[in-house]
Formats: sequence, structure tokens, C-alpha cells
Amino acid sequence: MEEYAREPCPWRIVDDCGGAFTMGAIGGGIFQAIKGFRNSPVGVNHRLRGSLTAIKTRAPQLGGSFAVWGGLFSMIDCSMVRMRGKEDPWNSITSGALTGAILAARNGPVAMVGSAAMGGILLALIEGAGILLTRFASTQFPNGPQLSEDPSQLQPPPFSDYR
Amino acid sequence: LPASLGRGCLGRWLLAPRGWALLGTGTGTGSCSCLRWRHQPPLLLRAARQSIGTQAGGLRAEKPGHDSKDVSVQRALNEETLVSAAQRVKEAGRDFTYFIVVLVGIGVTGGLFYVIFKELFSSSSPNKIYGDALEKCRSHPEVISVFGDSIKGYGEATRRGRRQHVSHIEYVKDGLKHMRLKFYIEGTESGKQGTVHVEVKENPETGRFEVRYIFVDIDTYPRRTIVIEDNR
Repeated sequence: MEEYAREPCPWRIVDDCGGAFTMGAIGGGIFQAIKGFRNSPVGVNHRLRGSLTAIKTRAPQLGGSFAVWGGLFSMIDCSMVRMRGKEDPWNSITSGALTGAILAARNGPVAMVGSAAMGGILLALIEGAGILLTRFASTQFPNGPQLSEDPSQLQPPPFSDYR
Repeated sequence: LPASLGRGCLGRWLLAPRGWALLGTGTGTGSCSCLRWRHQPPLLLRAARQSIGTQAGGLRAEKPGHDSKDVSVQRALNEETLVSAAQRVKEAGRDFTYFIVVLVGIGVTGGLFYVIFKELFSSSSPNKIYGDALEKCRSHPEVISVFGDSIKGYGEATRRGRRQHVSHIEYVKDGLKHMRLKFYIEGTESGKQGTVHVEVKENPETGRFEVRYIFVDIDTYPRRTIVIEDNR
């Protein structure tokens, strides 16, 4: 997708934060709708009002938690890309671990380590799934170029200015 | 909960006949051998019974009266036959489905971990080769003179703008595996983007990949090519 003339990184933070909020709000909305519906007195009006109240109260909270996670993760990811100078799966795993650690900071160092481990493992699984998907998608198109000879840029090194 | 019981006392529970008879042995000998749990014998009794025996229902804690011990054993034996075969089959079926679900979950998780470990740690993964090639580019004087001091490397842009995927092709030539990679580098001076092409060949003795050539195509006009390594 070379249409992106701009650097993805600082804008990616806003992107991820908003995307995570939407996911959390929609998922939380559906979940709370069902929960509010069931935990209301008998009668459709009561139930509908109950589910609406539950959505109004709880869904933004869940969306907010997701947004914090996503935004923090993306911020750490972009910082690591800037620091290391290359884009790697290692960045994602470390960012996940650091995000988990920071978000559990209130509960003391042991909880931070546990949360970091969980975040790192979760991100490693997501990265693994992403790699699998890309590999799988790329093998769907088996017609690569026939690469039996070396590219022309290499041939006589003194003439490498030609193409 | 069985894990919290500790091995010595669990052995005693298991040796004693099931469930209800443990009441007698437990409270009788609990104080001398299992000192830690003197505070919570009823909880542990119930937990032990539920975890060791699979008899469902009817196992309320009865105080072990000395003369009612025989009665309690008799009554419990009758209750056991009430847990009919159909219920046992249903429970076994449920346990089996849970077991299968757990196995599938472990299998999928294990597979994903294997993929990510192979990608990050194996020396023949495209990511590793990309990392080594990037280091060589960074330390090459001509590249530094064109691009500046700090060089960033990235691969193909997937959706969401993450650029982690390095495009690579594997092919077999003369019985040996070759792999070609292509990634992009950028320096501090804006507007100068370069494409790095790497080819590695498998060394039949060591089984690892060795670099065959590395060169950088610079995106200027006229196009320039810097050859970093050429081992053909």
C-alpha cells in the first residue's frame, strides 16, 4: 500500500486508540444490552429501559479501558520503532509486556510482572497468528517470478550506474 | 484445591476408603499430622470429598457419631446406587467434551508459539536475515554517506500501517534452498529511500543460510546502486 506517503507512526497511535475504543464500546454495548435485558423486571418496557441504562453506564467504561490499552500499546510500539530503527515482531511483544506492566502498576511489582507476562504472551500469540496469516495468504498465489538468474544491478559492478 | 492439601495428607485421604469414611479419619488424625489446616477442617473435608470422589449429591457433612458410623456408611452406599448410570454417562460425556476443548486450545496455542519462536529465534527465518542485513547496511560507509547516520529499516506495509512484514521468496536451485528478501531503508535526510535486496543460500554442511549478495537501490535520479556484499 504505497499510497501512504506519510509515516505511519505518530498517526498510528490515534488510529489504534480510536479503533480500540470502538471495539470496546460496541462489544461492551452488545454484552451489556443482553445483561441489562436479563437483569430487569418482567415486562418488555422495563427490560428495554434496563438494557439501555446498562449500555449507557457500562459500555463507555469498557471502551475507555480498551482505548487506554490500545493507545498505550501503540505509543510504546512507536517509541521502540524510533529507538531501534527497525520494525520487528519484537517491538510488539515488548510493547505488550510493558503495557501490561504499566497498567498494573497500582498493584505492586509482583502484579506488574504477572501482567507483563500476560501482555507479552498475548501479543506473541497475536503476532504468531498474523505471521501465519501472511504466510498463508502469500502461498495462495504460487506464481512468483522465475528467479533463475541474478538481478541486473549486480552484474558488472563497475557499470552499476547503468540499469 | 487438591494441590493445597499437600502430599502427605492427600495420601492419607486417598488410602482411606472413599468420601464419607474420611470424616472419621480426617478429624481424628488431622490434628496430629496436618497441623496447618487445623483452622479449616470442614472446608477441606468437603473439598477433598468433591475432588477425590466423583459421587454426586447426598454427601452432606455429617458429624461422625461413633455409633452412627456404620449407619452413615450404609446410607451412603445406598445413595451411590441412586447416582444412576445415565447421569454418570452424561458427566463422562461432559468431561470428555471439556477435555477435547482444552486439548484443542492447547494445540492452537502451542502452534502459535511455535510459529513465533521460529520466526524470532531460528537463524533461517526471514526476520533474522533481515536483521543481519540491516546491521551490515548500517555499518557500510557508502550507505552512511548517502543516507546519514541513523538508518531505519522496514518492510511491506500491511493494513493499519504496520510495516513488519519483510517480503521474501524462497526457491530451490541446484538442490539448495535460496531465499531473496527485499526491504526498505531510509535515512535522516528526507526523500531518500532505498530498497535493499538480499539473497542467501543454504550451506549444505552447516545447514545455515549464508549471504550471497546484498545491494541497495537508491531512489534518486539517476538511480544508484551500492553493492554491499557480493559472494557469488
